[in-house]
Amino acid sequence: MDKTFLGYPRPDGSAGIRNYVLVLPVQRQMNIVAKKISEAVPGTRTVIFPGELGRPRGDRQVIYRTLAGLGLNPNTAAVLVIGSRRNAGYDELKAERYIDTISASGKRVEVLMLAEADGFYNALGKGIKIARDMVREASRTFRSPFGLEHLSLGVKCGMSDSTSAICGNPTVGKVFDTLVRAGGRAVFSETTEVIGAEHLLVKRARNEKVAGKLMEAVKRTEELAKATGEDIRKTNPIPENIAGGLTTLEEKSLGAIVKAGTAPIEDVIPYAERITRPGLYFMDAWMSSLSLPTGYAASGAQLFLYQMGGQGVPGREFPAPAVSSGVVIPIMYLTGNSNTYQRASDTIDFNSGTVLEDLETLDEAAERLLDEILKIASGAKTSAETIRFEDPIELYLQGPSL
Amino acid sequence: MHSQKELVVMDEKVDNVGIVKKEVVKGQIIDIHGPGLQSTIEVKEDIPFGFKIALRDIEAKERILKFGEAIGVASAPIAKGEMVHVHNVEGLRGRGDLEA
Repeated sequence: MDKTFLGYPRPDGSAGIRNYVLVLPVQRQMNIVAKKISEAVPGTRTVIFPGELGRPRGDRQVIYRTLAGLGLNPNTAAVLVIGSRRNAGYDELKAERYIDTISASGKRVEVLMLAEADGFYNALGKGIKIARDMVREASRTFRSPFGLEHLSLGVKCGMSDSTSAICGNPTVGKVFDTLVRAGGRAVFSETTEVIGAEHLLVKRARNEKVAGKLMEAVKRTEELAKATGEDIRKTNPIPENIAGGLTTLEEKSLGAIVKAGTAPIEDVIPYAERITRPGLYFMDAWMSSLSLPTGYAASGAQLFLYQMGGQGVPGREFPAPAVSSGVVIPIMYLTGNSNTYQRASDTIDFNSGTVLEDLETLDEAAERLLDEILKIASGAKTSAETIRFEDPIELYLQGPSL
Repeated sequence: MHSQKELVVMDEKVDNVGIVKKEVVKGQIIDIHGPGLQSTIEVKEDIPFGFKIALRDIEAKERILKFGEAIGVASAPIAKGEMVHVHNVEGLRGRGDLEA
């Protein structure tokens, strides 16, 4: 049977699995305006813009492509750009850049400038009025069937324990293989947790250039770790990994890489860079669940998969590590540990621990996972979408702060 | 990968550790039968779910092998049937503390 989902068609041919109007502040000063508008209008999403002043050029480029990427993401129906005035601020971060880039994709883009609106209070009123109109219009886009070639998934493994390598990550890996074979897109990351396994990943690089980029990314990250003068084992593996039975960084990495499946790695991309062609990609970035979902959303992924171990996480009914850091993309929680699933089944959407219990094969679990993903893509809510909380998002910025 | 009642071995041809699928207790006997594995292991200490058990005696500084790869080295001699974890294993990567 053909695998399809019901998605929102966008002018550029992509398909959204959600349908948000993004209220996008383009200077930190406009955060409060964007937030107040978004609070007043259901169906919108906004992001608290990180302070841009005093950041070096590399970090300004990260800020730009993250926010532009959120606007371009298929889950975003339309964008309301909120700025202070025309042609202002750092070159990389001028409102016009966002307006031009996002408009070129065919989406509706509206602009609210504080200077033109005659003050904060008038701006709020104008902004709410425009946002309401945008949400009403967006709601008249209806879902229609799309194939796997229109799906883009990003994965992170977190709170890993030994089940992560045995069934949790391999289940995702099989889904990734299916997705890539069908012409879809897949991305994985967490460079620190490639250390110890890079010799295996590098064999799958599409060509010498990509292999070189991968080795360089891992080398640079390990150098940064060593430059702290600290034993990495006090930082990564994290306490929850060690409490869950994982002993060394190398062990964690060898188990982590299996979540990406077996497809060739088309390219190594920096944090928040857009993926424009089918295939599997490695994003050279930090593992944080408060940072990576935003980066994947900017790359164009429509859904974030968090594959949890959880053996080292104590207690029951523990809240999710992150619920809204995807901004316009939902977060789905999975585990390969039935014990974790039993303790927190309201946080976790899918359990492949059945494989370890010999109740199911890995292939059966992967088939079940793909079907679940397609349901979520078609509108079924993840657990994380059913509680209101704003994660403190951290873009992956290198500094220095000057 | 070889999976049986008590434990999982990721690469049965090479690995010197297995992962226990349910907690095991001191004195318990595990019989492994699988491609490349014919062994009886007496569990030397209680080992929780998901932790590693030595499939054979491992010398100090010998590589710990899981997935057919080195995940570190033994920091002390490890007897067959003992738990293998941070108290007797050292990882070697990212060690800023080792750089002079």
